[in-house]
Amino acid sequence: MRETAEDVVLAVNWALLGYVLVLDLIMLLLVLAGGRRVSASRRWQGAEGHRELFASPLTPGVSVLVPAHDEEAGVLDMLSATLGLRYPLLEVVLVDDGSTDRTFELVAARYGLREVTPRWTADVAVEGEVLSVHQATTGDPLTVVRKVSVGRRSDALNVALNVARHPLVCMVDADSLLEPDALLQVARPFVEDPDNVVASGGVIRTVNSALTDRGTVVEPRLSRNWLVRIQAVEYLRSFLLGRTSWADANALLVISGAFGLFRRDLVVEVGGLDALSLAEDAELVVTLQEHLRRAGRPHRVVFVPEPVCWTEVPETWQVLGRQRKRWSHGLGQLLWKHKRMIGNPRYGAIGLLALPFFLVFECLGPVVEVVGLGSVVLSAVLGLLSPGTALVMLGLSLALGTLLSTATIAIEEFSYHRYGRARDVLALLAAGVLENIGFRQFHSWVRLRGLVAAITRQKPVWTAMPRTGFTTAPEEPAVPVPA
Amino acid sequence: MTVPIAVAGYASLLLVAVTLLVLAAMGLGHRRRLRREQHEVRRRAELTPLVHTLLDDEDERPAPEVTAAPALFDELVLDLLPSLRGSDRDALQRVLATRGVLDRAARDLGSRAAWRRGRAATLLGSAAGTEHTAALVRLLADPDADVRSAATRALGKTGDVAAAEPLLAGLTAAPGLPRGIVGMALLDLGTPALPALRDALTTGAPTAQALAAELLGMHGDLAATPALLATLADRSSTAPSCIAAAGALGRIGLPTATGALTGTLTTAQLPAVRRAAADALGRIGDPEAVVALTAGLADASPDVRAACADALAAIGDEGRGRLRVLSIAAGPAGTAARAALDVLALAPRRTREVLG
Repeated sequence: MRETAEDVVLAVNWALLGYVLVLDLIMLLLVLAGGRRVSASRRWQGAEGHRELFASPLTPGVSVLVPAHDEEAGVLDMLSATLGLRYPLLEVVLVDDGSTDRTFELVAARYGLREVTPRWTADVAVEGEVLSVHQATTGDPLTVVRKVSVGRRSDALNVALNVARHPLVCMVDADSLLEPDALLQVARPFVEDPDNVVASGGVIRTVNSALTDRGTVVEPRLSRNWLVRIQAVEYLRSFLLGRTSWADANALLVISGAFGLFRRDLVVEVGGLDALSLAEDAELVVTLQEHLRRAGRPHRVVFVPEPVCWTEVPETWQVLGRQRKRWSHGLGQLLWKHKRMIGNPRYGAIGLLALPFFLVFECLGPVVEVVGLGSVVLSAVLGLLSPGTALVMLGLSLALGTLLSTATIAIEEFSYHRYGRARDVLALLAAGVLENIGFRQFHSWVRLRGLVAAITRQKPVWTAMPRTGFTTAPEEPAVPVPA
Repeated sequence: MTVPIAVAGYASLLLVAVTLLVLAAMGLGHRRRLRREQHEVRRRAELTPLVHTLLDDEDERPAPEVTAAPALFDELVLDLLPSLRGSDRDALQRVLATRGVLDRAARDLGSRAAWRRGRAATLLGSAAGTEHTAALVRLLADPDADVRSAATRALGKTGDVAAAEPLLAGLTAAPGLPRGIVGMALLDLGTPALPALRDALTTGAPTAQALAAELLGMHGDLAATPALLATLADRSSTAPSCIAAAGALGRIGLPTATGALTGTLTTAQLPAVRRAAADALGRIGDPEAVVALTAGLADASPDVRAACADALAAIGDEGRGRLRVLSIAAGPAGTAARAALDVLALAPRRTREVLG
């Protein structure tokens, strides 16, 4: 009996080692591909400035859709940043999704909202009743829709979709700040290749503790909170390496809900965002690609590797756990819904590369990590684990994780170097090491819980993240007037 | 098990060494960047007055300090060139030619590295006249998509109307050119490109036809009206061509198009085409369209209903009067009418948004 148990544990250990090696090899390839792309863009950008784009009559109008639930902490800054975007033709549609705080009152007072008859442009199904529609009387192209919340962001976005008037819709989180040229940057692919591009997204960065002024990030700074610092490294790795490389392979699955641009007609054509999905952003991208590929219509999902959107990330373990559980639950839902695409050559790189990767490494990753930890404990109990072996394996895992994070931060430093203070870069490097101790294990645990929730078909629950608002830059001291 | 453990141990050491190397490179890179930035700021401050003296200089031969200036000088000149016209532009182009910048770029068009070809095309577009058109046209068939796009933009900037036909042909060639970039390049060429666009509208492939219609509308080309009407009436026209033709007729604004557009609004299968027709009727503002637009308020598509209501609001007293009557009614038509009237009431205050 003991011999059988030992054989099983050894077999599991070898299988896990193989899994980790394949994953690390893929991550290394992503790092190399990301590094190569960044190095190429340093020699030649491939496109010119945004002046031509701004002035071009071919640049289509954009409706920026913002779902907001209890966002009084930052809604005015966010609106100020969004309405101040450099773009020739835009409107902002803010959906007050059953806020219980002063979100609506603040916006109403600032923009002199006046109730109007809704101007419907689509009839995507929505669950929460629309209470009223308002427009700014300050000259700003702002529409505010008040609705009953059903606890889902997708429902609020679908309402916004029904009143959006421009050919492109940009979905933005209410806790996000866009850089002044952000919209021009992500709209560029639509202007240049309108026949093929159906969606585009940009880089998202953490805004916690960055200095802002009326919704503009004036100095990116790293938070003193280590949880936020680790997420800053995560975001860099995900956006600078992961998505850039997936987009290059024409296999981009995720455009972040915090900032993504889509063709409105196509989003309406597929029935809007999936009301029950907890990963509605990724779900929309996959649905669009499935729909268009099945119809044999051209399509391209583009990632713009520029730092364009700043978003608040959780500052406590509890909120982070809820967020990541929800993401994992949403990923499970997505993979189940689109299971026929997985490994199916009919869907090209998405079917053959991206979806299998997400299934094996993103969805099942936490299972493997938890089984791995259990296997280590069992090996120790059975006397199969020598301290030396354990240390070497732990060292290898740490070294690899640290190298990946360091390479990401190096690419950031060589390309965009948004963190001007050396201590911020050093803190990022330290966070890249610390991430492997505690954070990763916690992350695996909550992701596993999310996966279980997806498998057991638990009712999707959207939980709002508590907002801290943005850190305002101190006023410039007044120049003393000589007497 | 000892061999894999040893391998893992060595691999860990190797990874640590690589990490340290990356860290060292980062530190060095950081220092070098700071030094370079400071140096560049200083050099730019020194060289900018020299560039400005060139603008007033009528001497054909550049001064010795211009010939001897560092490469940063070329960057300053290239930054300035797109905003200049006439003799100032000629003066800077002469300087770039004298310093060998244009010859080097022309040579780089045949380079093996895609980024060199692309960068050279961009530079020639910003700096050169028409003498490199043929080379840039050849680059429209480059295997690299970014290089093809750079050549397309460059051809627009050179202002050589001979590039119009190859650009339009590039839309349907393999590998093709992105429609938006070709559109911007053709707009850069200006009104001299109109004959080529009119040809493409009548004889071009569907993609070229749609783009030509769109651009002719942006130019407000009255002479293209018959061809645009024919495109709209032609049952074999594609939806993008019809949408573009309707949009162009709206921009041109001749009431002679009202009949064709109301016909399209009533009979077109696709909501996007009907919406384009409604938008165009609103732009033209011909009261003859009121009946068709009123009927459009009962369209199955909310987008078309909203466009029809906006168009009625744009037509003037007749259209607005009809909207007021309809706004009393219940149902989608009444809602669309009330929404358009509400927008109209707020319109004087709305500074950034363009109706329709």
